[in-house]
Amino acid sequence: MTILELMERANTRETKLVIAYVKDAINKMQSSNEITTTSAKQNIVENQRDYNLPADLIAIKHISVLDTEDDNKYKIIRRLASEPLVSEDTNP
Amino acid sequence: MSYDTDRTYAYIQSGKKLRLYKIRRSSGRFIDTEGRVKGGNLDSIIYPDEAISLGLRVEYTAIVDPFVDKDPEATAVGDLTTVTAPTESTHINLNRMLSLAVVDYVRAMMAERIGDLEKKEYYLREFHKKVADNESNRNKMYIANTIKTYAIK
Repeated sequence: MTILELMERANTRETKLVIAYVKDAINKMQSSNEITTTSAKQNIVENQRDYNLPADLIAIKHISVLDTEDDNKYKIIRRLASEPLVSEDTNP
Repeated sequence: MSYDTDRTYAYIQSGKKLRLYKIRRSSGRFIDTEGRVKGGNLDSIIYPDEAISLGLRVEYTAIVDPFVDKDPEATAVGDLTTVTAPTESTHINLNRMLSLAVVDYVRAMMAERIGDLEKKEYYLREFHKKVADNESNRNKMYIANTIKTYAIK
């Protein structure tokens, strides 16, 4: 469906506003459903706890870590049920 | 040299950060001088103790190529080109059902602009119904059961 067809169906002529609403609608759909998924990889650094999540992330599906001993497969890891006691480590 | 990463790593999300931990397995049991087994499970969590190149993979939902140059239902995925500055002739990169859901969303937002909240709620309900329909369409399955030899027919 083109933007024009959408505008005609919604009975509006405000193109920029409709484009912004389309992005909002897709964002809303992606929050609760998996319309499309993507992935990002980053290096694991020794003794580093914190890693940045992708800037365009809406909802996490899986977190995996590379298993180099098993033919370089990414294996899904578990989420901890509760936060460990250390909230900030000034000397990791 | 990472191994059994599904069992030896765990994470927790903290705002825009992901906290990665390694689980150090330890039985924690030892035998004292009188032959008694003492101790319990002493698994502890530590920071990753090794560097792994591209070792962390995050799979997530995002707005991926929302606008394309051709009709996505009539074109192979590889032939679609992303449009970064959409115009009225640009296609929304969704199937028909989700495109109709987006129409309802736009109608809802337009109704909100003019203060018609009843109409907004109606169109938002229609939006969620269509998104749910699309989801259930993907999960349709048929289960075939075998009939046991001595079943009453």
